[in-house]
Amino acid sequence: MKKKMTPYILLVPQLILGVVFIIGLGTGIIQSLGVIPAFGLTEPTLKYYKEVLTRPDLLQSLKYSLYIAFMSAFLATVTGTFLCAVLVSAGKVRGIIMRIVQIPIIVPHVVVALFIVNILSQNGILARILANAGLITDQQQFPMLIYDRYGLGVILAYLWKEIPFIIYFVIALMANINGSLGEAATNLGANKLQAFMNVTLPLCMNTVLSGFLIIFVFALGAYELPFILGATTPKALPVLAYLEYTKPDLRARPYAMAINGILIVISLIAAVLYYILLRRSTKKLAG
Amino acid sequence: MKRKKNIWEGLIIGIFIFLVIVPILTILVWVGTERWAWPSLIPQKFSMRAVNGILRNRQQLVRLCMSSLFISASVAFLSVVIGTMTARALECYDFFGKRLFSFMSMLPFLVPGTVFAMGVQITFIKCGLSGTVQGVIIVHLICSLPYAVTLMQDGTRAMGVKLEEQARVLGAGALQAFFKVTLPNLFPVMLSAFSMAFVVSFSQYFLTLMIGGGNVKTFAIVMVPYLGSGERNFASIYSVIFLVIMLLVFGILEWIVGRFTKAQEVEYY
Repeated sequence: MKKKMTPYILLVPQLILGVVFIIGLGTGIIQSLGVIPAFGLTEPTLKYYKEVLTRPDLLQSLKYSLYIAFMSAFLATVTGTFLCAVLVSAGKVRGIIMRIVQIPIIVPHVVVALFIVNILSQNGILARILANAGLITDQQQFPMLIYDRYGLGVILAYLWKEIPFIIYFVIALMANINGSLGEAATNLGANKLQAFMNVTLPLCMNTVLSGFLIIFVFALGAYELPFILGATTPKALPVLAYLEYTKPDLRARPYAMAINGILIVISLIAAVLYYILLRRSTKKLAG
Repeated sequence: MKRKKNIWEGLIIGIFIFLVIVPILTILVWVGTERWAWPSLIPQKFSMRAVNGILRNRQQLVRLCMSSLFISASVAFLSVVIGTMTARALECYDFFGKRLFSFMSMLPFLVPGTVFAMGVQITFIKCGLSGTVQGVIIVHLICSLPYAVTLMQDGTRAMGVKLEEQARVLGAGALQAFFKVTLPNLFPVMLSAFSMAFVVSFSQYFLTLMIGGGNVKTFAIVMVPYLGSGERNFASIYSVIFLVIMLLVFGILEWIVGRFTKAQEVEYY
């Protein structure tokens, strides 16, 4: 009897925090349905979702957020996996280079934003280098790389942080597989590239996909970088939601929560897709 | 395995390292920059005005460091304790509702923190936790915990229950076996979980802003307004202090792991 209770006792603090998290989500979802008794709103309705989804600025924000999250996650995953392969192939799996790779992981996003401003703004180092090389004569000639519609600054900031994250996330596994099964494939006559593409990479795919999902969901819901480096329009969804949330007119609150509801739905769809992909690739490996 | 030196590999790694390092150097230059007019490549005037400005208010700076460190260290410590407990429950036992608990422990990975923060703020206000250090610690903890749980699960799985069972067979009590056998073996993983949770907490801006409500000061909260107002030298100084603290914490933890592994080797072999 006592033994049966042990796991539940161990899980008590986790459960309490989990409940707080679910209260947060639940409150948001209930408010997004327009139920806020304190403001005299008691009838659940989908009105706010409908209104939010037909607002032209919201559709733009939705596209902008999806685009930033996807580009950041995709480019970071591809570049990160490629660099990881190069590091494994060069035998630099630990030591000073891996130390340097770990630095961006511990640098906070707000500091990365400062880096990007220092380098890519119209007053930044890149613009100055071009001016000194005689390629541009005026600050205004330098393209707007931050605060721009295409979210370049935001994406580059994510890449600086997340490429090393992918490397760190994948490299131990990749080095391990490459050293055992990859080596076996080479001995059986595959060249280095073949061994990597047909043996090592497929076996790392699950981890790479998890990395992609973590970055995608994070970039989709993060506030800092699009707030500091993003354009005035379109705004990223979390920035838009916070703007509605902080409006002095409290009746705007359900709109903020409806935007958050959309974010939850997209994140969960991403998670489901991820599980399907994970299953498929595990099956393929087994069969 | 013998390899010939590959020039492309070296070049790619070199460019990558360069791109990681250069941005960090830019903030070091900005720390002492007074005037840097377009289009010069180096600042015209260096001065320690901004540094002195921050140092003059030493008390405030110390208070900021202390509150930032206290929050993140508490979060990291609690993450390790709770993460170890959760990982043990999920890895070493079969019980009803296991999958549900497993899903719940990973939920903060799947739903953006901003969504959670806006939803939970009203509850925190009602409970009187809004604007308090405890409140901030709780929300940071919720976002750091999945990292700690993941790491501790990997560690617990790798370690297995064999050694602990051995100790039980030899007559150790359940708690004794856990604290004398399992815990020392898990210690290095616990330290990585600690650093990960520390980083996640130390970097939070939005959650701290929402729940701390401006009352609770951390580095991110103090630094961001300077970014907005274009006072890049102040923003840079806070960033440098930020990074130095982070590196120190990591250095100390790594040193402890090193010492610990050595001590264990001596003890057992």
